[in-house]
Amino acid sequence: MKHAVLSACCAATLLAVPAVQAHFQLLYTPEVMLERPTNLDLELVFAHPMENGHTMDMGEPEAFFVVFKGEKTDLKDKLEPITWRGAHNEAKAYQTGYRVTRNGDYIFALVPAPYYEANEDIYIQQITKAYVNKGAMPTGWNEPLGLPTEIVPLTKPYQVFAGGTFTGQLLSDGKPAPGVECEIEFINTRIDQEGNAFGAEPLAETPATTIVAITDPNGIFTFGVPMPGVWGFACLGSGPATEHAGKELSQDAVLWINAQALNGGPTVGEAAQGASYRVRDNDSLSTISARVYGDAGAWQRIYEANRGQLSNPDALMAGMELVIP
Amino acid sequence: MNRSARLACGLVAGLWLSTAVAHTPLCSCYDNGDGTLLCEGGFSDGSSAAGVDVRVVDADGGVILEGKMNENSEFELDRPDGDFTIVFDAGPGHAVEIPASAIY
Repeated sequence: MKHAVLSACCAATLLAVPAVQAHFQLLYTPEVMLERPTNLDLELVFAHPMENGHTMDMGEPEAFFVVFKGEKTDLKDKLEPITWRGAHNEAKAYQTGYRVTRNGDYIFALVPAPYYEANEDIYIQQITKAYVNKGAMPTGWNEPLGLPTEIVPLTKPYQVFAGGTFTGQLLSDGKPAPGVECEIEFINTRIDQEGNAFGAEPLAETPATTIVAITDPNGIFTFGVPMPGVWGFACLGSGPATEHAGKELSQDAVLWINAQALNGGPTVGEAAQGASYRVRDNDSLSTISARVYGDAGAWQRIYEANRGQLSNPDALMAGMELVIP
Repeated sequence: MNRSARLACGLVAGLWLSTAVAHTPLCSCYDNGDGTLLCEGGFSDGSSAAGVDVRVVDADGGVILEGKMNENSEFELDRPDGDFTIVFDAGPGHAVEIPASAIY
């Protein structure tokens, strides 16, 4: 399996342009919706998360901060250099802790040092954002931070569900950036925060090629999230800076979300068909409404959906099969 | 503008109707460690809780203290003795009760 991927990769390299692997600047913390005051552990790692591939050395970041209710707190001096163990190699990375107490949205932003990618002879700088919420109180997740380039979420970034979608707007210098290629990946390995390491094995099958969305004329892209996990979006070369140390610079915008599974709901088939209820002796529309919705006052919904067999609300008879909308 | 419209809406709902509005009240309280407590309120749609009633009741349901959330949707109080519950009361169906044991 792995062998096949490798040889396919080599074949592509030989035949055409060098295969471009998707670099992703990680800004990782495991829990993004907090109920109570919590000490966060944040890991900053530059890697190829979907193929669990090569991990790259990070230089000293240019900036690292958190924005809470419009107030920016510099965290750069709190970064600790660490050695991160990838599946194949070790690399320089950073970690820090942050205490979340008050309710609201915490937007973490990292401006890393440009990374020289020898394969492509370019520098890459992935300006990265990640979101944490405490107390379910939204306080500005949809506001831009004023970074050179950034993805502004149009879907609440800490409440995305597998099977749902995520929509973001890409900005460059504060203006919508149309026609930009955004690569999409998930962290396809376990993360050992204590041991500063990725797991050796991927969690899921690695897609055959990079998942890509291109921003529309308003800089907007949407992605249907197929499964729970930590998903990242990297819009390439959208930043205003195009040169670093005499070489081409790709200034990218990266954003991370945690997609959750929404358990216990009906399957798509069940939801499309609607539920039904067989009327029993002594039922009324309000007792049925109380039973199926937990709210006796919602009986009119059931009545309207069953007007075909109910000429009035009192026409209810035991044995009728009601549609429950 | 938007905020005042929402507040007005909340008032209307609180006073005359018992239907649920589409936002959930939120409130968390913290022990400042100096004998005082801080509560912060709000709503799940992000709207302000300024002016929302706050009550502190003792174990028998007697009211120890009454007040309102300030302009920052916060309320500070001296920690009462014994067992108590803080009630963030944004109207019928929109109250959050925080027992002393759930203060962070």
